Amino acid sequence: MISPAPAASRGLGRLTLDVRQDLSPWKQTAFVGSSLVFGLAISLAILAAAGIPPLTLASELAAVLTAENLRGVLVQAAPLILVGLGASLAFRIGFWNLGIEGQMIFGGIFAAAISIYDVGPQATRLLLMGSAAALGGALWVLLVVFLKRRFRVNEIIATLLLNYVAMYFLFHLLYGAWQDAKTAFPQSSPLRPFERLGDIGYGINSGLLIAIAGVLAAGWLIHLSRIGFYTRFISANPRMAKIVGVPVQAATLWIIAASGACSGLAGFVNVASQEGRLTQSYANGYVFSGVLIAFLSRNDPVVVAVVGFLIAVLFITGQTLQVFYQIPLTMVQMIEAIIVMAVASSEFLIRHRIRWLR
Amino acid sequence: MNLGDFLINWIANAPVTAVPYALAALGLIVAERSGVLNLTAEGLMLIGALAGAGTSLLFVGHPAVALLAAMAAASVVSLLFAVLVVVLRINQVIAGLSVVFFCQGLTGLIGTLAKWQNKQLSGLAPLKIWPLSEIPIIGRIFFMQDPVVYLTILIFIAVNFLLFKTMLGLRIRAVGENPGAADAAGVSITLHRILAIVAGSSLIGLAGGYISVVSVKLWVTGMTGGRGWIAVALVVFARWAPWPALAGALLFGCIEALIPHVAAAGIQVPQYLMLMTPYLATIAVMIWVGAKDSRGSQEPGALGQPHVREERR
Repeated sequence: MISPAPAASRGLGRLTLDVRQDLSPWKQTAFVGSSLVFGLAISLAILAAAGIPPLTLASELAAVLTAENLRGVLVQAAPLILVGLGASLAFRIGFWNLGIEGQMIFGGIFAAAISIYDVGPQATRLLLMGSAAALGGALWVLLVVFLKRRFRVNEIIATLLLNYVAMYFLFHLLYGAWQDAKTAFPQSSPLRPFERLGDIGYGINSGLLIAIAGVLAAGWLIHLSRIGFYTRFISANPRMAKIVGVPVQAATLWIIAASGACSGLAGFVNVASQEGRLTQSYANGYVFSGVLIAFLSRNDPVVVAVVGFLIAVLFITGQTLQVFYQIPLTMVQMIEAIIVMAVASSEFLIRHRIRWLR
Repeated sequence: MNLGDFLINWIANAPVTAVPYALAALGLIVAERSGVLNLTAEGLMLIGALAGAGTSLLFVGHPAVALLAAMAAASVVSLLFAVLVVVLRINQVIAGLSVVFFCQGLTGLIGTLAKWQNKQLSGLAPLKIWPLSEIPIIGRIFFMQDPVVYLTILIFIAVNFLLFKTMLGLRIRAVGENPGAADAAGVSITLHRILAIVAGSSLIGLAGGYISVVSVKLWVTGMTGGRGWIAVALVVFARWAPWPALAGALLFGCIEALIPHVAAAGIQVPQYLMLMTPYLATIAVMIWVGAKDSRGSQEPGALGQPHVREERR
């Protein structure tokens, strides 16, 4: 008997897409790694087109990593780690917190208010400012949680729009009641020495301690605490979680509040360390940095610390390029976006198999 | 200034501020009707605004050329988004956000390096529809606008016809409503989604180009100032239907046009609190939508879901 002839091939054949069952961790890492390299190569090409040849960039990068400049990187890492924590906590529970800048602004405003109205003794001033900042950030994001629960308002749009509202409120203060009377610049008068986050030796800023404390707290919250367990349950299957009696509403609320508090603390750290006063731009460019750090670290607080440090290197390099080569700082945002696109694309290759059928 | 002049000046300016919202929302509706959650408006409007401004600065031609360049540029960049979400099936929120921040970075970079910042553009003269333009009050409001305002209404009629009266529109909507069924009926999901994204994005680009070339008449980094996000909200408000989107755009146009006129009329309102109003109004509108019954919404069934035909031999 003659077996039926195989189906005649149609021309060159065609691409088909299968869903992979699983892929070894090594191959997954290789896919993510190579897509990261691809994304960085595109960024390098764009920078070269903008007039920064790769060799110049390499020497600038090497300069950033010297001991002297590493100090600046560590200062910059603190707010980035905190916004990364803020984003990853919210993403864990499936809440798109894109209001990080607004929460940073309100964190800064609350902290500055403690200073401006001279609340509490000097010894506990920083502690009070930090707590106020966390509260400010948490309240600003909980407003959106309320809108979402009560009126089904989409949190993506609400958090993004409230960034603009927060920004104009900051401008309202800085061009009005809180304007520095001495210089008449749109910024608050400088914080007093006991209201600033100083160095703790070895040139390390105490803002980094806050970030590390945040990493430990978030790590405990996610990996060890009861709420963390609930979070995993809720994100896996919210309906089932509710049926078996998990306090879905309360757990969600606490995680999102923690997310806002982290962003608020990031605002406090920027105001009390780098800037030393309330400025117009201390929250600029942090929304997407938070998204990027959370995305690359797969919402794991411990990994956030590492990725936050790497993005800080990118930030400082960007600032150097701005000063010496007049490359606008928005370039950092562009590179961040390219990295996210590249790494997200690699997930497609991890989850699907492309085959050429003839 | 008396109240009558104030009202006429305000209402006569509203179409100019409404056009970007209307065109951007319409472009988003076209893309979202094919089932792609599109958050890219804020970025693509910046691309359109930069391309329009750049074209008018480089080649001193008719502003129409600049607006066409704005449409083309936004379409080209939207191909990136289309590949990410349609071919590579990336999470559509992540892809949309990435494209917005990519565009913000890119336009900031190009605008600064090419030194296009704050350079005055010629703008577009209003089109007087004589003799209607001579009617008091009504003539000023309805018949002395720039050509793009009239064109916007024509575009709405055309897109409405295309989406709801043609086979192509039916296919795009089918792909957005039930991609599995559309696929089985032989409609290419990939093709129709990419087409809808690119076509819609040309309108978003026009919206951006209109801001820089016609309305503000210069390029400033980040000049769209959140209008793209408001357009995203407008689509939800309009329940994915074109005509309600136009009505919503007019509402927001009126709100935005009010801001400079209040200051000009000498009314004492804190300036920065006044600038919050478009964003707060958007949130108010979203609350109103959420409180309303959701029946009758034309939200596409497969919005935000990538389509993977799992087993194909």
